Amino acid sequence: MSTEAPPGDFHPRTAAARGLASCHSCGKVQPVTQQRCGRCDAKLHLRKPDSLQRTWALTVAAAILYIPANVYPVMRADRLGGAEENTILSGVVLFWEHKAYPIAIVVFTASVLIPILKLLAIVTLCLAARRCRRPRAMTRIYRMTELVGRWSMVDVFVVAILVAVVQLGSLMSIQPGPAALAFAGVVITTMLAAMSFDPRLLWDAAQDAPQHHE
Amino acid sequence: MACHDCDALFRAPQLHEGDSIVCPHCAAKLSTHRPHGIRRAAAFSLSAASFFVVANIFPFIELKAGGQISRIVLAESVSALNQHGSPGLAAAVAIFILGAPSLMIVGMLYLMLPLQFGRRLPGAIGVCRAVFGTDTWNMIEVFLLGVLVSLLKLGDIATVTLGISFWAFACLIVCLIAAVASIDKHELWNQLEEARG
Repeated sequence: MSTEAPPGDFHPRTAAARGLASCHSCGKVQPVTQQRCGRCDAKLHLRKPDSLQRTWALTVAAAILYIPANVYPVMRADRLGGAEENTILSGVVLFWEHKAYPIAIVVFTASVLIPILKLLAIVTLCLAARRCRRPRAMTRIYRMTELVGRWSMVDVFVVAILVAVVQLGSLMSIQPGPAALAFAGVVITTMLAAMSFDPRLLWDAAQDAPQHHE
Repeated sequence: MACHDCDALFRAPQLHEGDSIVCPHCAAKLSTHRPHGIRRAAAFSLSAASFFVVANIFPFIELKAGGQISRIVLAESVSALNQHGSPGLAAAVAIFILGAPSLMIVGMLYLMLPLQFGRRLPGAIGVCRAVFGTDTWNMIEVFLLGVLVSLLKLGDIATVTLGISFWAFACLIVCLIAAVASIDKHELWNQLEEARG
């Protein structure tokens, strides 16, 4: 605990230091010895339980799923001339070659850039939760990670729509590929990983570490 | 109250309309005082409910190519995945675009309508937790982006017509986002606590 705050910097006491837990469900602050929230009956914890272990496990799972998600095709188009398979990346390339640049960039951002950045961000956060010099910046990364994760689901929805609507008998039909499920798995596990991470660990680590502030 | 991001403990100040509580330590936005938030949320949830019904009844997209027509309703984007060998994916999509939004709409109506009269129905606390827990998994706006991307993919092979349901779906997104945005979590829980059972 820091007792003397440097001028212009503010170090409040944390709720945890006083044995108080804010309910993760409704936010009410109460003694952690109560075990269950008096208002909404959720279990009380000072910090999310096993936050780091859970986050690491889910992140590793997501990283493993990421491989089949990119190697296998997300969908297969059967035409009169023959079948054509598309992976996530080749879908982006196809838009680019058709000179549909804005949509290529949107799909590339949602399906390639965000998942990779998100995995890196969560790993960074997990490492920072041990020794954190810049809790404010790290908390910002955490908020971004929680916010943008869902948008990666776009490609999965594109597959769902195309499979449903492009069923033109012998002319053309589209089937879902194995990568679609793997990719949905990546998005779900990274979302769960971000949810199980507790940003308060960053501030705890910053208080334990020698003071270096922004 | 305590900040959910950095656990700083402080006393919640008295707020005037439009004021926000921002964590003095890490600048997280914790609460915004909106006097008519509950009423607004109830109204938007009601419209969201009607748009949800319309979005599920009428045709969503129609595709014409080489004399063949293929027309789907919203739920067929789920059942088609199931038919073509991907039940897991079908289940995920069903939760993201049908299950989660409908649960949120029903849950919000169950909370907001009685709360205007200072009352809460049995199980309201559990419903409130469920609504906030579901919010993350409601991906209708992402689905809309998916529809737009699909349209561009289909543009050069077929003629695509958007059905009534598509527009209802777009309105549903606006209403549901507006309903969630008019609720302040901190104030909603306080009001629920004070409401008569």
